Amino acid sequence: MSEEKKISKQATSSSNKDDSGTMYKKRDKIYPRETKGVFSRLRNIAMLALLGIYYGLAWLQWDSHQAILFDLPARKFYIFDLIFWPQDFFLLTLLLIVAAYSLFFFTALAGRLWCGYACPQTVWTEIFLWFERKIEGSRQQQIKLDKQPISTAKLTRKISKHVVWLIFSLWTGFTFVGYFTPIRELTTEFITWNLGPWETFWIFFYGFATYGNAGWLREQVCIYMCPYARFQSAMFDKDTLLVAYDEERGDPRGARKKGVDPASIGKGDCIDCKLCVQVCPTGIDIRDGLQYQCIGCAACIDVCDEVMDKVGYPRGLVRYTTDHAIHHEASPILRPRVIIYAAILLLLLAAMAYAIVSRNPVGLDIIRDRNTLYNETPMGLVENVYTLKVVNMTDHKQTYELSVSGLPESKLLGDYKNMQVASGEVGSFVVRLQVDPIVLKRPSTAVEFHLQSTSQTDLAVTETGKFLGPLVQ
Amino acid sequence: MTTDTENSSEENLPTIQKVISILWPSFVMAAFATIFFFTVFSPSELALIKGWTDVSNLAGYTIGFFLFWLLTALSCALTCFFRKPCTPKYYKNTDELDDAEE
Repeated sequence: MSEEKKISKQATSSSNKDDSGTMYKKRDKIYPRETKGVFSRLRNIAMLALLGIYYGLAWLQWDSHQAILFDLPARKFYIFDLIFWPQDFFLLTLLLIVAAYSLFFFTALAGRLWCGYACPQTVWTEIFLWFERKIEGSRQQQIKLDKQPISTAKLTRKISKHVVWLIFSLWTGFTFVGYFTPIRELTTEFITWNLGPWETFWIFFYGFATYGNAGWLREQVCIYMCPYARFQSAMFDKDTLLVAYDEERGDPRGARKKGVDPASIGKGDCIDCKLCVQVCPTGIDIRDGLQYQCIGCAACIDVCDEVMDKVGYPRGLVRYTTDHAIHHEASPILRPRVIIYAAILLLLLAAMAYAIVSRNPVGLDIIRDRNTLYNETPMGLVENVYTLKVVNMTDHKQTYELSVSGLPESKLLGDYKNMQVASGEVGSFVVRLQVDPIVLKRPSTAVEFHLQSTSQTDLAVTETGKFLGPLVQ
Repeated sequence: MTTDTENSSEENLPTIQKVISILWPSFVMAAFATIFFFTVFSPSELALIKGWTDVSNLAGYTIGFFLFWLLTALSCALTCFFRKPCTPKYYKNTDELDDAEE
């Protein structure tokens, strides 16, 4: 704890002393400088791919429904061919555990890949920064603009930036709601100005959250809100890939004339240009060592490589490396931690795949008539009435037939034949079960209800219900 | 000793961190509570028990989520409130500590 505090103190104090002419105060706005290089390109590709998936997937149709639809009003989730019901809830729990283990595995292996390339906070902050650069210009221009007194030119730029941000945020919110209410219906409702009050509310709520998180909070989300940033150190070891500054090679830092051999003036390779601090989206100095604010975006690697090229030193003063590698020790990729995480992850994935494949796509709920315990027919038989809820989780319409066992010579009446249920629907059927009271040994007898599809032999389910009768003398 | 220094740093937390420590954990927990609760109970069926027929599921989820959030946020706020140090002596101690550090 105290070490962490020291590190963060160092980080803030070093970013305070920025050479760009601005004295950074604590928690002042960070203006990340744009970078060009291998990792920026990778980050941009990841950003475009992920945004494309988010905004595009909502529009994809699959069979007769939206490919991905979390139909909350009807309480079922469509994911391509699969339909999930409230009773599949344990799968969601399993999915969360799988997600957690993937995070452990990738963190142990490659550090904060998630934070730097895939986290929605990073992705949306990047696109918001892009808008900001298009409207307000480069880092220097933005700093200059913010220092200017209010003028029409400044106001125009600021207002247009926020308008663009807000429109983009509302589109994000609209897409978000489009995963819960079919997005095509939502679009029609929007065009005819007929959006439901709750849909409208959630579009604005999610839009506002996007605008606030990506436009205003940015790195503060990573620093103050993200639990992963706080506990990731538990998954790190000395062989975890991280972004690090090669202190041995770089120090002592300092300016020098071009073409001077750094060794001859007692200096390292770091020319102390502080560009690595300017590009950092969380405003830290990577040269202070591993800090929990570092999201591993590798912007400092790109900019430092550019500088190294310019001054004619080899690249990689700041690079992806491991703690062991940077201290010239062996740094194996495969180690017990990684192997164990991988094994558990594979096991969980297999369990999940099995659970999904082996789901019984037909569900049966037996509800006994609550008003009467039993009836007696004029013929002297005892009768129980049941309401059957039949869930069809297949992607076709099904016809079922019901049979019972456990009661000798019992007779079924009502809708027990030709029970038709459409795909993804719940059918409700009333059946009556009659039996001669002579066979009843107890007031309550267990009865097995077998439901069988008429077209698919392997589509069947058996549930136990109760048959109530008179007290036996 | 250690608790004193920790508390003193807690007092100096940035405002944004104070606000977030109430609104954010409560938001996450409210989301979990909403998922768990409404997986078991359908909002429109719950509303029927009360005799309200015009409550849609979406309305139920929304109102349920915000009620959960209100409760969890209140609980977080109370936790933060009760974590405030109560003895005036405490402040003297931390001043000395801070001086010593510098």
